[in-house]
Amino acid sequence: MTNNPIVKGKLVCVALNDANQFEAMQAEFNEAPYKSAPTQPVLYFKTHNTWSTDGASVEWATNEGQAVDSMVVGASLAVVFGEECCRVSQDEALKYVGGYTLVHDFSLPELTYYRPDIKGKCLDGSAPIGSVVIPASDISDPQALTVTTQVNGETVHEMPVSQMVRSVAELISTISYIMTLQPGDVIAIGFPGQRAPVKQGDKVSSAIAGVIELNNVVGRA
Amino acid sequence: MKHARVLFTGSGQLNGAELDVTVEDSFATTGQLKSKTDGQLINESDVTWLSPIKEPGTIFALGLNYADHARELAFEPPKEPLVFLKGANTLTGHKQNAYRPDNIDFQHYECELVAVIGKEGKNISREDAMDYVAGYTVCNDFAIRDYLENYYRPNLRVKSRDSLLPIGPWLIDKEDVGDITNLRVTTHVNGELTQDGSTADIIFDVPFLVEYLSKIMTLKPGDMIATGTPEGLKDMQPGDKVVCEIEKIGALETYIVSEQEFYGDKY
Repeated sequence: MTNNPIVKGKLVCVALNDANQFEAMQAEFNEAPYKSAPTQPVLYFKTHNTWSTDGASVEWATNEGQAVDSMVVGASLAVVFGEECCRVSQDEALKYVGGYTLVHDFSLPELTYYRPDIKGKCLDGSAPIGSVVIPASDISDPQALTVTTQVNGETVHEMPVSQMVRSVAELISTISYIMTLQPGDVIAIGFPGQRAPVKQGDKVSSAIAGVIELNNVVGRA
Repeated sequence: MKHARVLFTGSGQLNGAELDVTVEDSFATTGQLKSKTDGQLINESDVTWLSPIKEPGTIFALGLNYADHARELAFEPPKEPLVFLKGANTLTGHKQNAYRPDNIDFQHYECELVAVIGKEGKNISREDAMDYVAGYTVCNDFAIRDYLENYYRPNLRVKSRDSLLPIGPWLIDKEDVGDITNLRVTTHVNGELTQDGSTADIIFDVPFLVEYLSKIMTLKPGDMIATGTPEGLKDMQPGDKVVCEIEKIGALETYIVSEQEFYGDKY
């Protein structure tokens, strides 16, 4: 397990922010246990023990001592806060961003969104974060970025930030009214709804073309 | 021993310093805390209490973990622990303010026994679990029921708000508490007893939870497990004083203020 020097306080991730997934799940949202579609961003934490780095090997998860059958990965644009951010408007939100990087969220498959997914999301070393933070001043519009992910050289995801239900600025504003964000806190703003399956030994590489990349290897059980 | 952390607000060169102190038996009569650095005695009136955990790690909390509370909420007792996470932004100390959001109908306290991890470990067995616990404290795990949605429930909007996890007043070494399986858990609101339970009603106990969580992930010093609350929920309003107390551990006092008062210039 490798700690990460970039994220200092908390790593907040946004689930169900892929507009295609959100649209496709409308019927399911109306059934038990959800009963209605979410009205707010669906948020989860990646805990301290999950933080890892570019180049790190990601442990294959075990359950009761046995290697789990399947793991998945998604990549997200990550917003790194440069100053304290408390109750800010959408218009002002991007001023609080120190820079941008990438996060990989390795997890067990997302089978349900009903209860906090501690077993699926809190695996040691499962949240590698890019080693470089691109200064916010170099990114004029985060909505114009696209995150791509390759597994063993084959493209599995190509996710424009503009395809998300909620924008970077909207998420920063909404979250800043729930919890004060501190310098070094990170928000992963959204992942492809269909996470990519990975196998032991796979190489996972994500990039924002020409700007930043994040490379990890899936470890052996 | 009881360990606390305070911000010194009295006059002199210590003003503004965060101090590690011990709380001796004499505190009840003298109101004095003892600096761990130099043994100096400090008056409680010269400090602001902070969270007793200096470097907070992962904050786990349990939902529906008392048999009586699960009944109160009309839930079947869970077969597996309902664990959720809280950010460190939620932490505040003894005798501090916690806020009630504007335009809501129901905010309630939850008095909880907290086990604080003292040693790193993974795949810890139930039998060895207590070796990894440093001690205990009390928390008040406030909830805003209006904000519940059926996604990662209880969601962060309900459970991870600034100031809504008062904790303390101190961390007490586990050896000084001994058996934790039948401790009285009470809450008083403005002096009235509103919650009165016992840790005997806990469904998943501390050794079970250490084993359960450490099978999923590495536990580290500073991680906290808030073990859930008994029945007896009541709405809170600005001006209320809430005291959460657990026998042999301590009594944690919190003042409810409005959102505007809490955030001041940032409101």
